[in-house]
Amino acid sequence: MKVAVIGSGITGLSTAHNLAKQGVEVVIFEKKTYLYGASGRNSGGITTMMDRKELIELAKRSIKIYDDIQGEFSFNFLFRKDGYLKVADGFDMGRLEKECRLQRSMGVKVREIDPFEIREIVPGFNPESVDGGFIGEGGVIFPWPVIWGYVEGCRKLGVEIMRNSEVKGFEVENGELKGVKVKDETIKVDFVINASGAWSVLISKLAGVELRNRIIKEEICVIESLKPFIDPYILNISTGVYISQSARGEVVGGVVGREATEPDTSSTLDFLIGYAKGAAEMIPLLKGLSVLRQWAGVYDASPDGLPVVGETELKGFVQANGLGRRGMSLAPAIGEIVAKIVLKGKEYDEFSPSRFQFPERTTEN
Amino acid sequence: MVKNRKIVCRCEDITEEEIIHAIDEGYDDIENLKRYTGVTTGFCQGKGCLMHVIRILSQKTGKPPEEIGVTTQRPPVNPVPVYVLMEGEYK
Ligand SMILES: Cc1cc2nc3c(=O)[nH]c(=O)nc-3n(C[C@H](O)[C@H](O)[C@H](O)COP(=O)(O)OP(=O)(O)OC[C@H]3O[C@@H](n4cnc5c(N)ncnc54)[C@H](O)[C@@H]3O)c2cc1C
Repeated sequence: MKVAVIGSGITGLSTAHNLAKQGVEVVIFEKKTYLYGASGRNSGGITTMMDRKELIELAKRSIKIYDDIQGEFSFNFLFRKDGYLKVADGFDMGRLEKECRLQRSMGVKVREIDPFEIREIVPGFNPESVDGGFIGEGGVIFPWPVIWGYVEGCRKLGVEIMRNSEVKGFEVENGELKGVKVKDETIKVDFVINASGAWSVLISKLAGVELRNRIIKEEICVIESLKPFIDPYILNISTGVYISQSARGEVVGGVVGREATEPDTSSTLDFLIGYAKGAAEMIPLLKGLSVLRQWAGVYDASPDGLPVVGETELKGFVQANGLGRRGMSLAPAIGEIVAKIVLKGKEYDEFSPSRFQFPERTTEN
Repeated sequence: MVKNRKIVCRCEDITEEEIIHAIDEGYDDIENLKRYTGVTTGFCQGKGCLMHVIRILSQKTGKPPEEIGVTTQRPPVNPVPVYVLMEGEYK
């Protein structure tokens, strides 16, 4: 059996790794290079503090995989588990309370924390800036070594990774996928995995398959290094502003993304202004520091917030996308699921692309 | 010993040997080489070292510099303090 994976982001790589482990011949096609997609541009926030049962399960499994696989790959992902902190205005606290009940019922360690206690954990935090928060399992991972580790791990298992190889189309016969078109060549394969993130809708169009994921653009920046003082990953769900500190001491932060019409990674001054205001309100001492570098990334979100994973009406064409702003927390487990779908014909109704053919089930949660 | 240390990136203190080692390990496109070694990411943001890195990559891989390309230049051109940005009007 031969499988082509489109995209060398975390989703494509973890899928390829799981398939290759089972002896499948896998080739990954990557339009640019690794790290080009959202997997090389994100803020590395990892948590099980999700608002859906399915997502909590995927996140738990993914953290376990990260823990185990670093040794296997001989790569240090710099996964610092100092907690994940969600803060909010009074208006949004109810949402956090509700998801906390779900998380606890599934064994996730999470507790409410008041703004003054936050200041004890994060020196310099302004308790006036929020009404409350919840702190729980998670932390920050460094996305680049994660990707490089998976690249190494895949290569060792014989996965071929083709950079600068854009997939331009497919060969289809009688409703069955037969091959992938790359660089004026058609490569015969039994399955294609669409793990192209924000480009997944475009790839689906090339295959004549409907996919209703939205494209989200998110901007992010780095403030000069400071001695580590921000232990947890901090996300303000009311303003969308998030802040964390890397192992190098750089303060990394951004504003949760907005829908875009196409995968566009341009940077804007407007973002920097909004972020500066929001970040300095939470941690005023950031005011005196400088922004060194800014960039943007794009990812894709499904209509109901759950990933889209499964074979489509086009036999052999498998979706593995729609991970939203949680791809780093979910993708290692998604790779295992895709392998089970391809090798064992297993079906996961909750993630199946066909769930959107029933309009009454597409309401946002 | 010291004689053999050819510094390519002065901000991050990275030698030619380290860059060649990274290329041998498979970080052989400019964007991954940058992130793996840290070259071009320091205070000068590549103004001093990028050309040398491209030369080394070209010599090692046999690819012409045009094919190697340059790293994406990220704004701002120079560091900007947060208090200055805060004065801006958010649309
Ligand atoms: C600023 C920002 C912050 C984020 N913060 C977090 C966070 O804190 N925690 C978290 O869990 N998630 C976060 N995310 C989301 C996370 O980064 C994504 O969910 C995840 O990286 C998606 O991985 P992917 O492999 O599905 O897609 P990608 O990493 O985008 O990979 C898709 C790949 O497909 C390739 N491709 C596209 N078209 C083609 C083609 N025609 N042929 C071949 N290849 C093609 C692209 O070049 C790309 O490399 C953030 C995202 C951004 C942008």
